Amino acid sequence: MSAMMKKSTDLSVIGTRQPKLDGPLKTTGRSQFTDDVVMAGMLHGKIVRSPIACGRIVGIDTSKAERLPGVKAVVTHRDCPGVMISADRELLCSDRVYFIGDEVAAVAAVDEETAAEAAELITVEYEPSPAIFSMEEAITTGAPAIHKECKNNKMDEFSLDIGNVERAFDEADHVRIGECSFNPNHNCFAEHHVVVADYSLPGKLSIWTPNQSPLYVQKSMGAVLGISESNVRVFNLNTGGAFSGRIGPRKHNFIAAVLSRKALRPVKIRCTADEEFLVYPGSGHFKYTFKTGVMKDGTLKATEATYQFDCGAYWDPLFNVLLQYKYHLIPQVYHMEALRWKETAVYTNNPPNMYPHGAAFLQLKLAQETELDLVAREIGMDPMELKFKNAVKKGDTTLSRIHYASCGLKESIRKVSQKTAWKKKFGKLPPYRGIGIGCGAMNSGGPDKAGALIKIGEDGKLSLFIGLPDMGQGSHTAMMMIAAETLGVTAEDITVVAGDTDVAPFDIGAFGQRGTFFTGNAVKLACLDARKQLAITAGEKLGVKPGMIVFCNGRVYPKGEPERAESFGKIVSLTLHSQAGKHIMGKGFYHTTATSREPWVSTLAYSFGAQVAEVEVNPETGIVTLLRVTHAHDVGRAINPLAIEGQIDGQVFSGMSQILTEECVMEEGKVLNPSMLDYRLPRSFEAPGIERFIIETNDPYGPYGAKEVGEGPIVCTMAIANAVSDAIGWPVREFPITPERVLRAIREKQQNKK
Amino acid sequence: MKRIIELNVNGEVHEIAVQPWRLLVDVLRDDLRLTGTKRACGQGACGVCTVIMDGRAILSCLTLAVECEGHAITTIEALEGSDGLHPLQQSFIDHGAVQCGFCTPGVIMTAKALLDDNPHPDDETIKEALAGTYCRCTGHIKTVEAVRHIAQPGGEVK
Repeated sequence: MSAMMKKSTDLSVIGTRQPKLDGPLKTTGRSQFTDDVVMAGMLHGKIVRSPIACGRIVGIDTSKAERLPGVKAVVTHRDCPGVMISADRELLCSDRVYFIGDEVAAVAAVDEETAAEAAELITVEYEPSPAIFSMEEAITTGAPAIHKECKNNKMDEFSLDIGNVERAFDEADHVRIGECSFNPNHNCFAEHHVVVADYSLPGKLSIWTPNQSPLYVQKSMGAVLGISESNVRVFNLNTGGAFSGRIGPRKHNFIAAVLSRKALRPVKIRCTADEEFLVYPGSGHFKYTFKTGVMKDGTLKATEATYQFDCGAYWDPLFNVLLQYKYHLIPQVYHMEALRWKETAVYTNNPPNMYPHGAAFLQLKLAQETELDLVAREIGMDPMELKFKNAVKKGDTTLSRIHYASCGLKESIRKVSQKTAWKKKFGKLPPYRGIGIGCGAMNSGGPDKAGALIKIGEDGKLSLFIGLPDMGQGSHTAMMMIAAETLGVTAEDITVVAGDTDVAPFDIGAFGQRGTFFTGNAVKLACLDARKQLAITAGEKLGVKPGMIVFCNGRVYPKGEPERAESFGKIVSLTLHSQAGKHIMGKGFYHTTATSREPWVSTLAYSFGAQVAEVEVNPETGIVTLLRVTHAHDVGRAINPLAIEGQIDGQVFSGMSQILTEECVMEEGKVLNPSMLDYRLPRSFEAPGIERFIIETNDPYGPYGAKEVGEGPIVCTMAIANAVSDAIGWPVREFPITPERVLRAIREKQQNKK
Repeated sequence: MKRIIELNVNGEVHEIAVQPWRLLVDVLRDDLRLTGTKRACGQGACGVCTVIMDGRAILSCLTLAVECEGHAITTIEALEGSDGLHPLQQSFIDHGAVQCGFCTPGVIMTAKALLDDNPHPDDETIKEALAGTYCRCTGHIKTVEAVRHIAQPGGEVK
């Protein structure tokens, strides 16, 4: 259970513990996922991938595969000449391959076994050339260019200064420079990558694939394949986990479409466990150097963050462009006078990288929070005190000109410190027991837009049309609750219609933590529009002004006269059959632009959180046990506390997992542990006890005051890293903090003492 | 060469022709169209394919269909009754233990096999039983709560 601070008593649906309305479907196995889709004539596809990381394609021979009975289509670059899915990446390789797994050909056959056999019969001759797997080697002068258009392998370089950085560092009493690095990891969703594509009719493509943004799939696939965007129909059935890893279409989506066009039949491609890990990783390597200047009383003066990341063999435009602008995270939680940011994206022959869970916010915040922890210790200050001192508050504007209309950060810090008896424990625990704190903020979307439609039937039941997917986070249930609150009905009276771009209103998708704020506001506006229409008819029928009509329990009545109530259904019928002859249908469209330094990546509402983690380290084995996590989160207004608890749990678990155990062990461009057995994920008995506190600050812009919670808690999980360093008495600077790295840190500490 | 086998699934006997190498998970999903059981890793690591055979939770992605002749298989589709959801299913919903839902059938079947054998396990036993299933959405925190609710003395199990 969680504790609610400032319980919402003025609302009847918002704030109640609402079990997910698709619960019965999911617990009985009725919920449809993409692999459940079977269509008449559907074929199965397999992809032929490069076994080498770098080299020239000398020749491709598909003749034997084409002759195999049951094979209906074989495709190579000749079937999509010159088609690029991004500036540097062909749909199918024609001349060169750039990583182990690069897609060279594909086959569609009557069943998976035949497709797999045919794929083996396609022979590709390669001329390997030296590959580069480390960023350092890639940017060494004289290193071969991985892509000929990028001679120095630095795909992107971006830097900026805000404020007078040199002066701020000069004035600081203490300056610390520290480095840390992160190894690649994987989003590791339960449902592996899968697609069904039906491009059997020219100019019309239907796609079933688990994804976070049907709109982005439409636009991207339409642009690449030369189909008008509205003729790409994307079906979002259920999505078996996304964790920042399903924002746009990946290669198998395009390949399935090309196979389908050639075979004139639908094609399904299911990725195997190997393909999941070898070809579709989350993040690559990150390296951070932080220079932090503080005064002796803990006031932050300046931060200089230099970071380098391995984008792999190709530059994913969605992933990498947003990474550039993550500098705004640095002054998001703590005030400072100046910031310098230097970012470099480096090509290597590793698999091309996308977002890990937490959209790489976790890695950046981990670097910042662990450095601040060390800075505090170096000036003899409690890290919690330093973070509290510099923490932003309501009404503040940050260095990157982000303004906070609501902010519960200090309250969150106070709550977790108090509940864990931080003062009694910090610096006073026995050896190998540690406590750490992490604070974070998270944007509720960006300056984007969302639409919603609501129609009310003559039986008084409502259909809510939205474009926002539900990946399990409970977004549809939350939208239903907002609609129910606005119209005075129960959530069970509402059916959400979503998951088909042919009927969905405009919505960018379930990423960037935008759903509650943007789609939620659009839903509220649509319901207010429907309410206005209902009030006009109800007012006429009941002889009062529309403004005097009360909406409650699916009925309408004049204020103070509930005995005269009429049902929704009755009012809808009256409107429909009146001389005006209108159907009650509400529409809402919400958009906004924040006025920060980078408007396109900032928003009006931010969630805030603080977390304390307590750990025990075994000095013999290096194993870390996460004993307890205490988390407080400012969500603006809790629409559904039950779902919020689930979000906090899942993100603490994922943060713990990424910080302590998850790592794609790479060697020469290959993942050595491409399975869920060897890729170290925590199991049920390793989950810590979590105490959760929901804090409400009633954001003026959020629907009923609500802000995001879909990724806020994960950026507070660096408390775990700080707790481990506290337990050992020495910082661990390479992540994840595996037992080997713990033992190395213990040894370093012992050597340092000598 | 296909073999004709008889598979007893959820109390119904099905006569099907399968190649000897066909996996139980594929036969359940593709031949019998019982798609509640999911397939993912194919390596026995994630547990989403869990079904019950003769009272024991098994990984259907590592079980050959031909091995199952003469045994009783139970899938998620068999749990609800004519009077509503199984208490385990309802408990998962009430405790917020369902998010994306992909692992849910596998976790519920694992829990059912545990509770059928041991109606009142302690937390450690519940967590150990669920250790073979992977749930990134919940971190197995609310799933354990949901099972604990049924496992406590007085909890209902059909």
